[in-house]
Amino acid sequence: MTATTEKKPPAHAAPRPKGIAALKPHTTTLMVVGGVLTLLGSFLPWATFVLNKGPYPAQATLQNFTAPLASSGFRLHLVLFGIAAIVVALVKRIPARHRIARALGYGTIAVSVINGLWITVEGGGLGAITASEGSVAFGAIVALIGGIVLALASRVGDLEPVPEIGWKFNRWVEWLILLVVIVLLLLLVAAVLTSGGFGATATYAGAVFLSFLAALGGFLGALHAAGLLGWVNALFDRHRGYAVILLLVAALCLPLTSAGTEYWMTVATNIGVYAATAIGLNIVVGLAGLLDLGYVAFLGIGAFVAANLSGAAASAVGIHLPFPLVMVIAAVIAGIFGAIVGSPTLRVRGDYLAIVTLAFGEIFVRSAQNNIGGLTGGSNAIPGIPPVEAFGIGFDQALRIGPVSLPRGVLYYFLIVLLVAFVMAVFANLKYSRLGRAWIAIREDEDAARAMGIRTGPVKILAFLIGAMLAGLAGAIFAHKTATVSYESFRFLESVTLLAAVVLGGMGTIPGAVLGASILFILPEKLREFADYRLLLFGIALVLIMRYRPQGLVPDAHRRAELVEEPEPIDTGGDKPTTREAVAP
Amino acid sequence: MSAPTTTSTVLAASGVTMQFGGLRALNDVSFSLNEGEIIGLIGPNGAGKTTLFNCLTGLYTPTSGTVSFRGEPLPGDPALVTETGVARTFQNIRLFPSMTAEENVLVGRHVRMKQSPLSSLLHGPGFRRSEREARERAAELLEFVGLRRVTDELARNLPYGDQRRLEIARALATEPSVLLLDEPTAGMNAAETENTRQLILKIRETGISVVVIEHDTKFIFTLCDRVLVLVQGELLVEGTPDEVRGDPRVVEAYLGAPPEQVEAQIHEAQEAEEAADHGAPGEKQLGGSS
Repeated sequence: MTATTEKKPPAHAAPRPKGIAALKPHTTTLMVVGGVLTLLGSFLPWATFVLNKGPYPAQATLQNFTAPLASSGFRLHLVLFGIAAIVVALVKRIPARHRIARALGYGTIAVSVINGLWITVEGGGLGAITASEGSVAFGAIVALIGGIVLALASRVGDLEPVPEIGWKFNRWVEWLILLVVIVLLLLLVAAVLTSGGFGATATYAGAVFLSFLAALGGFLGALHAAGLLGWVNALFDRHRGYAVILLLVAALCLPLTSAGTEYWMTVATNIGVYAATAIGLNIVVGLAGLLDLGYVAFLGIGAFVAANLSGAAASAVGIHLPFPLVMVIAAVIAGIFGAIVGSPTLRVRGDYLAIVTLAFGEIFVRSAQNNIGGLTGGSNAIPGIPPVEAFGIGFDQALRIGPVSLPRGVLYYFLIVLLVAFVMAVFANLKYSRLGRAWIAIREDEDAARAMGIRTGPVKILAFLIGAMLAGLAGAIFAHKTATVSYESFRFLESVTLLAAVVLGGMGTIPGAVLGASILFILPEKLREFADYRLLLFGIALVLIMRYRPQGLVPDAHRRAELVEEPEPIDTGGDKPTTREAVAP
Repeated sequence: MSAPTTTSTVLAASGVTMQFGGLRALNDVSFSLNEGEIIGLIGPNGAGKTTLFNCLTGLYTPTSGTVSFRGEPLPGDPALVTETGVARTFQNIRLFPSMTAEENVLVGRHVRMKQSPLSSLLHGPGFRRSEREARERAAELLEFVGLRRVTDELARNLPYGDQRRLEIARALATEPSVLLLDEPTAGMNAAETENTRQLILKIRETGISVVVIEHDTKFIFTLCDRVLVLVQGELLVEGTPDEVRGDPRVVEAYLGAPPEQVEAQIHEAQEAEEAADHGAPGEKQLGGSS
């Protein structure tokens, strides 16, 4: 490992740069040092003693530390990060080395901080990660320093732009690559979903999950920095139809992975319900720019309508309609309420509209709590909603197809996957139509939109109506899946979480809403010990997102364009004057 | 103040008065715009030019008086006015900043496209045909104003002059009979202004009548068939550029003193300054008609 320093500035140049800038010729050394420290950290024990809740995962406790090189869990992630950092440091042909190092550094910092903090808190003090009663475990600290050195190296080095990879292959090869990518994605989703496990045995589920997310973030960041994500994205764009079908098939294959248990299917179904609702909300907020703080009420209306029309013993209506019809009715009734809630948009804008929708959400919850018209069951809720049945199979049953046995709840999962796909199609088709452009125009400048001939009133109400209908559909499935519908599922907190999901993921995009909903609705599942701090954590996460990534995790293509630090030069070149002259006769 | 009322009148305002509380922004303004005509609307700041535009396009409902389009009263809703055939641009550029140039023009096509929500949902053959036609038309219009090369650029990233042109293209996309341009050359240099002048003449050739608000009197006098001078909400003078240019009331109210007199005033002011050793040459601003 030779410190191959970059060209030194000429001796007569300006006085030596001060501070970290002085390290500039040594970025490669720094990167190697950071990588080695990260590796070292992963090979050291992290906890000095067995914590109260049992030994820390990934064999990180000193006593379990029999084979230092057999890393697993977060320590394995750090091993990979360390190796990657050293490779990136030494192989100068890799484009955007500093950018990759930065992603690796941030990932390492996040992983060490999460695990280090967890061990410190659970162990009751810093002794747990340093030295205690003669035993030492500096893993967390060494890895943290490694991460900081990596980040530092990228900071003093010149941050390259994300390279654009233009690889093109034969169509079949590209399809094969897409297939591999999507299979990897499926496995990744299954791994994220199941990471940390669940139930009484999974003591450190929260830590393992968060650490896994952080490692994933660092890993994807590095791929993005290397231009690979951009390339895969371009592949998706080139073969959109094929990729969409593959994604749908992959989603339906989730029960075949490690996530194929009843518990994870329930979690995935709930995420699907909220993802579909978030996409509906995305029409209202992301496209039309109308802030809706009571949106979960439409999910609730759909759920209560379905509960009443499906023959639940406790329902006031007491008829049992076939499920598809129930879905349609739920959507229509939710849509009608959507149009009613949307009607104030003719008069109020912005913050005032947010307050009106907030009030509507509260009216809904209070009415449902008071068992309005005997339709909502009040605090007793409406229990005993029978499962959906088709072809003589109850949707709550396990399924066996030939040699493959699928867990209970898998049919609801399939149902929600199809619904999410449908909602995505609605969103995408509307976005790129006359109506979708009218929504975006209203979001951008309502007066100018009116001056362009858009009748803003009906167009805005249509946004509310369609968004509410989609939520109503999700609500119908939700009612059957949970079998009990209570007003408690549709409180203000849920509306805020949905809105946060849209903002976090990226306004106006489908993957953004799905990702946002997944993160925000899986976190409470994983971080049960933080149930009391849920809102605090959401708040912090949102503040951080607004500060560092205001366009959301998966920004709209247009907003992504704004990100480019140096706006792409408009293709004017030398022909600008000629175009100008062309205008003149 | 009698407007030539021929059968070819497209847009006519009669007795338009606009009262904001105690402020009378427009007082009994009447004029008519003929087919294929370019009218210039000039006047000092705060004279009510933009207010008149807002009354013409339904953004404001006049306190009294009527606006008619081909003899029919115009509806009092901007969207319906645009549908009827009166399009406008704004004094402060009001494009849709996060949309591309093409999408901005496509929004302008809104009133001329037929897509039911259901066909938008299903993207059927009818939908695709209407989208394709709209895109072709947008491409033509961008070509027409010289912006074809920035079709996929975000509006916010366009240079200032291009944004003004894009606003014109967006307004043209609504297939108007009348185009109202609010200061289309504000902030432009001489070459860009000349290009805009040529563009407006080209628009007229397609059969569209134009009303232009502008402070640049040279631009107005070389472009327009007729000029209206609005001062403090009242239509002061109306006539051909030559008539308006020579009218002493206009010179007094708007243009300030004639050039030689201004020079003399400046001279005097300078002398006075030198004599007094302080003080600002305030009179200089009299000639500030840009």
